[in-house]
Amino acid sequence: MMMITGLLARALQMSTPLLLGALAEVFVERTGVMNMAIEGIFLMGAWGGFVGAYLTKNLFWGLMLAMAVGVAIGAVYAYITVRLKQHQIVTGVALNILSAGISVYLYRVLFGVPIIPLTVDSLRRIPIPLLSRIPILGPALFNQNILTYLALVLMPVGYWVLFKTRLGLVVRSTGANPEAVDAAGINVERTQFLAVLASSALDGLAGAFYSIGFLGMFSDDIIGGRGWIAFAICFLGNWNPIGALVGGLVFGLADSLAVLLQTSGIRIVPNELLIAVPYILTIIATIARKQFNVPACLGVPYVKERS
Amino acid sequence: MNKRSDQSIWLALSPLYSVGLGLIASGLMMLLLKHNPIEAFAQLFGYAFRDIYNIADIFAKATPLILTGLAFGFAFRATLFNIGAQGQFYMGAIAAVFLALKLGSLPAILLLPLCMIASVVAGAAWGALVGLCKSKFNANEFLISMMSNYVAIAIMNFLVRGPLKEAKGEYPQTDVIPESAWIRSLIPGTRFHWGFLVALAAALLAYVILWRTSLGFKIRAVGMNRSAARYAGIDEKRIFVIVFAISAGFAGLAGFMEVNGIQHMLVQGFNPMLGSEGIGIAILGNAHPLGIVLSGLLFGALKVGGNLLTQTTTIPSSIIGIMEGFVMLFVVLSYFVQNKVILAQRKRSLAKGEEEA
Repeated sequence: MMMITGLLARALQMSTPLLLGALAEVFVERTGVMNMAIEGIFLMGAWGGFVGAYLTKNLFWGLMLAMAVGVAIGAVYAYITVRLKQHQIVTGVALNILSAGISVYLYRVLFGVPIIPLTVDSLRRIPIPLLSRIPILGPALFNQNILTYLALVLMPVGYWVLFKTRLGLVVRSTGANPEAVDAAGINVERTQFLAVLASSALDGLAGAFYSIGFLGMFSDDIIGGRGWIAFAICFLGNWNPIGALVGGLVFGLADSLAVLLQTSGIRIVPNELLIAVPYILTIIATIARKQFNVPACLGVPYVKERS
Repeated sequence: MNKRSDQSIWLALSPLYSVGLGLIASGLMMLLLKHNPIEAFAQLFGYAFRDIYNIADIFAKATPLILTGLAFGFAFRATLFNIGAQGQFYMGAIAAVFLALKLGSLPAILLLPLCMIASVVAGAAWGALVGLCKSKFNANEFLISMMSNYVAIAIMNFLVRGPLKEAKGEYPQTDVIPESAWIRSLIPGTRFHWGFLVALAAALLAYVILWRTSLGFKIRAVGMNRSAARYAGIDEKRIFVIVFAISAGFAGLAGFMEVNGIQHMLVQGFNPMLGSEGIGIAILGNAHPLGIVLSGLLFGALKVGGNLLTQTTTIPSSIIGIMEGFVMLFVVLSYFVQNKVILAQRKRSLAKGEEEA
């Protein structure tokens, strides 16, 4: 019983950043722009979260700094891809390489080469009264940190915003039919630009989860492709927040099962290969997924016609 | 007429501006550590061209970079994204080290070609799987190739900590391969080895395939306009697999170069940035084999000088990644400027035509 609780609790933890990242990607891709800088923003978010928390001794400022650096990278990305209409994948790759360099470099600038890795206390768990006492499920679902709750709440809220509000309609139309949005007097470029900024803020938060959400430290390989997994979950979930919720939870569960197997001492598969489980799962899911509901103008820069 | 050729020279030089601006931006980062960037860069290039050993090292460093650059650039010509060069490189390295260790008694003249072929085949097979996913299931090749990197890393980690671990059993690495499997130096006493010439031949091969064969014509047709290519009767699904196999073959060959030419063993997680550096090189070289060779040499020089710079000063080695990232970013920006200039030219010549008429 304890094991199941631990497994579920860990699954929710592992899926938290994936949920945030996938939701961010759903919204931005619905406006027709892929945020290909996601992996780099995750990393910079992890950096910002740690640095902010370490310097101010306050996790709140860590989260703020994580979002701020996310937005900064997002702004560069949006300027090049939305405003200058350059290639999204190529720009994303450039920013990811740059982020990998800058995060490690600035860590060094700030802290030199510490002999033992610097740590901060990670986000505290907030047990929800009564609910957290439910046997088995209670401690797993209702004794998590603030980011996990935020992710779980944001998914249905995101669904509601995307499909039931005017804002959501604008977002969806921008990716599906930018000409019509333009004709309705809404600025397509501005919508896309803002969507990239918003998604980058959320990605930064997701990245911070890795550094201050549970590890309490920063290292250069802290993200290790998790940003790309969030990116994949967006399209495996069919550009729908509920789909992304399901995808994120499945990946979190797979991840925590792999960790459980690694630590249990049962050696069915070598540990080195268990680490590859989420990546293999992504490949299988990408292959198996058939029916797609791709935003019509995804990845195609919108160039306004001038007469 | 004259003016136009002037402008095209400016355009042809645009990669140089991008490199210059990228280095300036990384110089600003050095200021944060209170280093004089001008001095640092003078030192960097001073080190890179200090003596014959270092100059030779530029070519040695450029060899695998050119190959992973070709890997991305070749697929890019078909508008396919092979982000998996890192994993394909590791697969090639695994195959090369495996053969070198198991068949060590063979004479060099047999062993070296065998290792080389094995690395190409291993890389190509690993990459062809991505192409197959693309053609059979219409899966997103960007994601699949990206994920295949992490799977390849896991396989390598497993092998060097398990079945292929050194006899001493101390570090996650293989034993040193027998000397008969080492690629000979071109200039004795340096690391400049024959592999560089093979990399040049690979670049030439990429050029010949792309621009001198009917297969290359089909590949570029698929790259320019997929539906038009389909309409013209080109089997794009076959092209996907072929392109990925060839592209990944280049990356696999890089594994042979590093194992047999430089490291002489397989060390866990070595050269972890080779794949993404290859992307940068391909973009800087405009996905053209000649451009890739030149950009590979430039990145090689940055690495040789950068490594020595970070060893002799307090500038951390992550500055090399920053330089590469900024250079790439400015290359992307230069595309924008180039398109603007070309568009303005066309408009002007159109306007002129109207006046004359």
